[in-house]
Amino acid sequence: MNSSNENVIQTQGLGKAYKGAKVLHDLNLEVPKNSIFGFLGPNGAGKSTTIKILLGLIQPTAGKADVFGHDIIRESLAIRRRVGYLAQDPRYYEHMTARQTLRYTARFFYQGPRDLIEARVEEMLELTGLADKADRVVKGFSGGERQRLGIAQAQVNYPDLLILDEPAASLDPMGRHDVLAVMDRLRKYTTIFYSTHILDDVQRVSDTVAILNHGRLVAEAPIQELLSGNDGADIYQVTLQGDPSYAHAQLTNQPWVQSISTTSVDELTNWQVTVSDSDKAEDELLYLIMEGRTVRVKSFGHKTYNLEEVFMNIVKEEKS
Amino acid sequence: MNTQSKTTPNQELIQAARTGLIPIHESGWLGGFDNLFRKELGEWFGTHRWLPQSLIWLVIINGLMTFILFIVPLIDPTSVLPAQEALVEALGIYLGFVSVFGVIGVIIIAQDEIIREKQSGTAAWVLSKPVSRSAFILTKLLSNAIGTLVIIVGLTAAVAYGEIYLVTGTALPVLPFAASLGVLMIGLVFFLSLTIMLGTLFEQRGPVLGIAAGVYLGSMIFSYFLPQIGYILPVNVKDIATAVALQHPLPVMAYSQLISAAILSLIFTTTALLRFRREEF
Repeated sequence: MNSSNENVIQTQGLGKAYKGAKVLHDLNLEVPKNSIFGFLGPNGAGKSTTIKILLGLIQPTAGKADVFGHDIIRESLAIRRRVGYLAQDPRYYEHMTARQTLRYTARFFYQGPRDLIEARVEEMLELTGLADKADRVVKGFSGGERQRLGIAQAQVNYPDLLILDEPAASLDPMGRHDVLAVMDRLRKYTTIFYSTHILDDVQRVSDTVAILNHGRLVAEAPIQELLSGNDGADIYQVTLQGDPSYAHAQLTNQPWVQSISTTSVDELTNWQVTVSDSDKAEDELLYLIMEGRTVRVKSFGHKTYNLEEVFMNIVKEEKS
Repeated sequence: MNTQSKTTPNQELIQAARTGLIPIHESGWLGGFDNLFRKELGEWFGTHRWLPQSLIWLVIINGLMTFILFIVPLIDPTSVLPAQEALVEALGIYLGFVSVFGVIGVIIIAQDEIIREKQSGTAAWVLSKPVSRSAFILTKLLSNAIGTLVIIVGLTAAVAYGEIYLVTGTALPVLPFAASLGVLMIGLVFFLSLTIMLGTLFEQRGPVLGIAAGVYLGSMIFSYFLPQIGYILPVNVKDIATAVALQHPLPVMAYSQLISAAILSLIFTTTALLRFRREEF
């Protein structure tokens, strides 16, 4: 089994242009099976466009894509049979109740038996906390209730792939927490491909992230890889008390130390030491700092980025 | 490519097998048709829906007929006609009302069918399910054609049949009368398919309503100056239907008009299907 066999979504040079204006450029994406794949980008980056192309709602103008090995153009129905989709601004028939909406959705996937369809509908209503609103028409639903209904209808067919377009954008913190919890719970059953611009959510639940900016894929990696920095260099953070000049001289003499950036707060000196050889750094960095006995090490550790830093750095690099 | 995922039974099948649910495997151009069709028919015949629809059309068509056939003679006794003339007049009133109010009603109902779904986002939602675009359009056409046939034509025809009998004492031959309703339906389906097609071509209701109504009114007006238009467009449907009901011979133009209307309906439907396949949501 090669690695592509484990990819649920695979795009090759996927592109979309409207009247000559490109909104999606040469997108090459691989979404591994059973991953929670965060599709990150600012508004207008092309996230929803990509999702709609995968679902056959719009046509690509370049490249190709497969979902479950099915071509998105020729075999769209086979794809949609295995997918659950929550739109960014989910819309349903206003005159239908939540129960009728879920029943209608379920009947696109199952021909019967009726009592089991009803049981599945009931299960979804319970799961999303809509049981007490099941027989209210959708017209009176709040944004959060619509979002819950959206999550319910997206799961009604036990999808192999759940595509969520900004699932938590319109929710309050509690609602967001619930959505993320549902996503986490579904991890072992399904692949989740979701777009968002809420970095905190991505960091909490995703295992792989792609960053899209101005329609271009600017990063795609497992989240831990992305957060540890992706330029081949490692950074260590050190906080010292005392005179650091001897230790500084020791470090700058090492060929594997690339740079030391210094900031001082009160009596403390903070270093960010960029190294090119992680093994050497692990073995010798702390020893070299402490060798002269002129400083006390108050803290020492490998620097990890938060996603916001990574995202902002990438977007800034793109701009420059 | 992902041949592994393609050939492995998917979660849906596994879960369905566990729960006893029977998956649907409709595919191709009719994918999702059954469910869509059930829902669309429900818009006409669902609980609490058939009654207002029926009442509206009974009041418009049969209510006006009642006024003309029963109330007016009470007000003006000189307007009472001999039985045979009364039969022709009553039949003409009914078929005329359906051919005018029916067309207007069909245009008003159909002008919103596609536009509303596109504007509200429900079309995008439905089409994210295993539903073909052809099925989406065809169920709109078919359900509205059936709703029109049953309520606008069938129900009002049944009541009109009784009204005509009451006023003339003569029962119309059933088969010719039913055939005349078929003629009416050809005209109504022409405007239904035209309006649905316009809904796929435009993003706003204005042009859809304007063009469909324009075709109807324009063709009626132009037919006075250019009667040959009757070889192509359904401008004399009421006259043709009356002749059919009374078993009178039909002119060549009548056959041409009905065949042309049917062919144009097919062209409109095909255009709608092709256009909607390229629609982006």
